Amino acid sequence: MPRGAWNAARGCGVVPAVVGRPLDETELVERAKRGDEHAYGELVHAYQGIAFRIAYLVVGNAAEAEDAAQDGFVKAYRALHRFRSGEPLRPWLLKIVANEARNRRRASTRRDALTLRVTAESSSGEAAPSPEAVVIDAERRASLVAAVDTLPEPQRLVIACRYFLELSEDETAEVLGIRRGTVKSRTARALDRLRETYG
Amino acid sequence: MAELERDLRETGRLLAWPAEPDLAPSVRARLGEAPRPLLFARRRMLVLALAALVVAIGAAFAVPPARTAILRFFHIGGETITRVETLPNAPRLSPIAGLDGPMSVEDASDRAGFNLILPPKHGGIYADDGIVATYIAPQVVLTEARGELGFTKKIAGPNTHIEPLRVNDHDGVWVAGAPHVLMYFDSQGLGREKRVRIAGNTLVWAYGSVTLRIEGPITQARALALAATVR
Repeated sequence: MPRGAWNAARGCGVVPAVVGRPLDETELVERAKRGDEHAYGELVHAYQGIAFRIAYLVVGNAAEAEDAAQDGFVKAYRALHRFRSGEPLRPWLLKIVANEARNRRRASTRRDALTLRVTAESSSGEAAPSPEAVVIDAERRASLVAAVDTLPEPQRLVIACRYFLELSEDETAEVLGIRRGTVKSRTARALDRLRETYG
Repeated sequence: MAELERDLRETGRLLAWPAEPDLAPSVRARLGEAPRPLLFARRRMLVLALAALVVAIGAAFAVPPARTAILRFFHIGGETITRVETLPNAPRLSPIAGLDGPMSVEDASDRAGFNLILPPKHGGIYADDGIVATYIAPQVVLTEARGELGFTKKIAGPNTHIEPLRVNDHDGVWVAGAPHVLMYFDSQGLGREKRVRIAGNTLVWAYGSVTLRIEGPITQARALALAATVR
């Protein structure tokens, strides 16, 4: 797919960690640790979507996000021997990708404004809004995204991780490299602020 | 609060994200690569080349590769000048330190394995396999080394000035402004590595198969004037 093309939103950006983890993930990790590149490719395929979106949230540019995610997966492969079998792989992978994206952002002087748009529910067959979503009209959603976009960067990221990507508090803490308590307090401050602007 | 959080979640599910790339093939293609110390996407090819060089230098010259991201390098005769972020540890010594001597011109030539090119005025001659050195002015040392590539190596930090120029109608380089490290090796290029930290400025040029260096607390003009006497 060409860079810059936009997906219609899928029914869900990401599914909860436990449910979304492939059943044979532990076996794939063990094989990858032994040098099975095909097995690692399967793991990349499973997590590339969420990894790319996290990188995109951090760098604000699709091409940079793709590079960051790719580099993150390559680094993670080389660090697999340090990954403890039985631990959840997803937060570990996402943390490496997020670090890669942060480094890239620090190194880059250019950063596009984050442009997350809300799809019109009726414009795409892929969009599958839940009944609750229908209640919120498109205008309100657009203003909510705009409000999130104007949050201070740390608050914007924590809101995006928790609600747009639906990461758990623990995963958000791991990905953003902050403590769980910080995730809680930062989320609360961001919600207060959003309530002021969004109403 | 619950309503706002619900709105955020529902909005998140309707966001239009950039097209999700299929990373698995490109990641798998890179799994056999050497590790890359720098990861700026737009400079991928350059970075790969530098990574290979770091590994090569690490193996041949025992420079800790993790601490020496190479910023720039070039060759003059048998000398490789490399600019790195962090200088390796080295004692602050004269380039003559570690060489045998003083000895006669003939003995030095036999020991070094090439005919010396000396100015009219010089001090005692010190030599080892492939290299000779002598004082040609107070605190100014002339070093000559056999010209195999990689035989000698200069490592310059970020604050060291490196300027290509012509010396006696030959290609040369002026290295100045901050301490740098000189490493040199026996004729096999392995073992017997010597490292010295040089505080002075250095003029390097190649003359046939011999690489010459003038090092000391001197200006570029003074170094060029001294070099003109070495023919």
